[in-house]
Amino acid sequence: MSLAGPRPERTRATARSRRRQRTFYTFISPWLLGFVLLTLLPLIAGLLISLTNYDGLNPRSMHLVGLDNYVTAFKDPLVRHASGRTMVWVLLNLPLWIIVSFFLAILVNQKIKGIGIFRTLFYIPSVIPAVGLVWTWKILLEQNYGLLNGFLSLFRPGTAIGWLSDQAIYGVTSIALWSGLGAGMIIFLAGLQGLPDELIEAARIDGASSFQVFWKITLPLMTPVLFFQIVLGLISAFQMFVIPWLATTSGSVPAPPRGVYLYMVNIYRQIFGVGRFGYGMAILWLLIVVIMALTLLVFRTQRYWVYSEVEE
Amino acid sequence: MKALSRRELLKLSGMVAAGSVLVSCGATSEPTKAPEPTAAVAAPTEVPTTAPPPPAQGNVVVMHKVQEGELTEDMVTQFETKYPGITVEVVQDDLTRYFAMYAAGNPPDLVRIQAPTVPPWLARKMLYDLTPYFQASTAVKIDDLAPANNYYMAEDPLHVGTGKIYGMCKDWSPDFTLFLYKKAFADKGLELPSDTEPLTYQKLYELAKQLATFEGDRITMFGFDYPDVWVDRIWMNMLGETGDLLYTQDYTQIALTSSDKAKEVLKYFFDHATDKLGAVGAIIPSPNWIGDDFDKGLVASLMYGYWFSAMAETDVTKDQVLFVPGPTWAGVQRDPTMTATGMVMSAITKVPDAAWTFFQWYNGEEPALDRAGSGWGVPALKSWYEKMPKETPFQQQVQKVLEGELGLSTPPLQFNPYLAEATVSNAWLLYLEQAVGGQITFDELLTSLEKDVNAAIQDGIAAIG
Repeated sequence: MSLAGPRPERTRATARSRRRQRTFYTFISPWLLGFVLLTLLPLIAGLLISLTNYDGLNPRSMHLVGLDNYVTAFKDPLVRHASGRTMVWVLLNLPLWIIVSFFLAILVNQKIKGIGIFRTLFYIPSVIPAVGLVWTWKILLEQNYGLLNGFLSLFRPGTAIGWLSDQAIYGVTSIALWSGLGAGMIIFLAGLQGLPDELIEAARIDGASSFQVFWKITLPLMTPVLFFQIVLGLISAFQMFVIPWLATTSGSVPAPPRGVYLYMVNIYRQIFGVGRFGYGMAILWLLIVVIMALTLLVFRTQRYWVYSEVEE
Repeated sequence: MKALSRRELLKLSGMVAAGSVLVSCGATSEPTKAPEPTAAVAAPTEVPTTAPPPPAQGNVVVMHKVQEGELTEDMVTQFETKYPGITVEVVQDDLTRYFAMYAAGNPPDLVRIQAPTVPPWLARKMLYDLTPYFQASTAVKIDDLAPANNYYMAEDPLHVGTGKIYGMCKDWSPDFTLFLYKKAFADKGLELPSDTEPLTYQKLYELAKQLATFEGDRITMFGFDYPDVWVDRIWMNMLGETGDLLYTQDYTQIALTSSDKAKEVLKYFFDHATDKLGAVGAIIPSPNWIGDDFDKGLVASLMYGYWFSAMAETDVTKDQVLFVPGPTWAGVQRDPTMTATGMVMSAITKVPDAAWTFFQWYNGEEPALDRAGSGWGVPALKSWYEKMPKETPFQQQVQKVLEGELGLSTPPLQFNPYLAEATVSNAWLLYLEQAVGGQITFDELLTSLEKDVNAAIQDGIAAIG
């Protein structure tokens, strides 16, 4: 047996492997560079700033305060309030977004004439810039002169529900839901169109009802997509800032009402309203830790409910 | 090479999305404030005589309200033509961007700011002393500076009003005056207040209660609107009538629970919100902003300065507006400006001469002259007061009242150098919402507000070092 026999083949394989690695890193390097420069470094800078008293104005008077900002955060009633409101927001918005966008995806997955028009219409809110979108909703939901209260006044004259003030959680949820449904629907739709037809057809031949097909076949097969949507939706719900801010603040309203005083709103106010950059970074880092912990928790649960064709 | 598994891909996506928290935070801009007077362009009538253009050269970076028209491209071209050798780079007014530029050690040479920003920036040694430039200038003479420019003069951060000159206002207004909507008074059969004698705040409250109109839960006429984002400035002025301060003498604490006078002042605004007499923050939101509401005939009385006279008469309110003096709290007339919007130079500018040339041009040459005749504010130079418009009967009535208010010569409000501009009003509105909703009492509101503001002051003291 010749010892030199397999060598050229192995060398060729190694060279091919190296070439593949080079190609991989060449293609991924723009993203990697962006990730390092725009995400990783700011995260580290934020962590360092969170250990200082930086007020955003004069770096020369900045000094280390250790973990003081973190200690303060745990005692801060505003942080507690904002955390509570954020939990309410997540618990209300995430299930609503998942259920309604999944439902929409099922609707637009029908093989009927002109379905493309409906898909486009449902997706349009997702491409409208937030400012324009919120402005339109404000006309609808304004307390004294809004169209919705005007309509309700036909039945109860003088109705002036504060959809964007004391009842802001519902008003802002409506806006956020409407603007996010298209993106959620598209992902679910892609998942639905990837389902194997033969399973569904076989079930129908066996006499399964539409609900049974959905419950026993579609839903289990969609759990990987559902899992992905939950992870992204969870992160996005915890980070919610732009819509509540735009919908409820103005020149004469410097901060959202307490109902939608979310965690990110508090961070923004602490940093840019009060000039507490160090403290703002500390509570921002606490949010990052919470989001990561919850994301990890969701990952841990997937073995119990996410369908996989491959043994883990 | 091992391909990324679905799980690894999702993990990576989660990490990226979580990381974007930080990035998204930095990308947001400062929320929009109520529109302020813009420099409406009028044909210049005459140009003041200035010294020959100085031999200054360089690139001057100016942070200003570009989109709002206060500093336009045409104006920059006009300047660059008049002063060859100096180029101007304009940056849209954005606090986030300013922080970033300052942190990078490269702030704009000139920045548009308001009076409350002067003490905090002075305390951090961020302002350039312009006194020698003013002393040498023939365009902006020190003895010609209107009283509002005192906000830009200081002995130190705790003593504003006299001393070194760090900037000047572009224009200004005594800001406590009232605009009354005559039709609202007529509809309720109420007699219009005098435009020579000031109302008291108490009388104003009574009137507002009579003027406010409701249709079920809807408010169809706001009784009395005031700029609630500047509410602490109003408190300071009210307390100033009796020589009292909102803060302790050394400004290291806000004095609310320990001061009956302060409690009384704050109670006035608490009652105003509880009785729904006007738009207040997110508690009683304005359909747009209070100036726009007035223009649409939805506000019976509005506290705004002279600048608002340029837009107070619309198709709806034409011949229906009466301008009256600022109200008194304890019988002493005071009417300072509460904004004094102006310009300062960065302490670490590398082109002070060129920056001063632009500063002087913007505040004492063609653009300033255009502003003086526009009616969007009292000119920053006393010698230009006569250029304010007085053609229409309304402008003439406004001028008559304004003359009286200018005669009061109210000293400037002393802002707290340890606080950011909106700290007090933001915290007030946050707790006011709870108090009006009955979740906390008025006394608890005061305690919480005091605690928050004092914590912010301590942070400010530590930051200044």
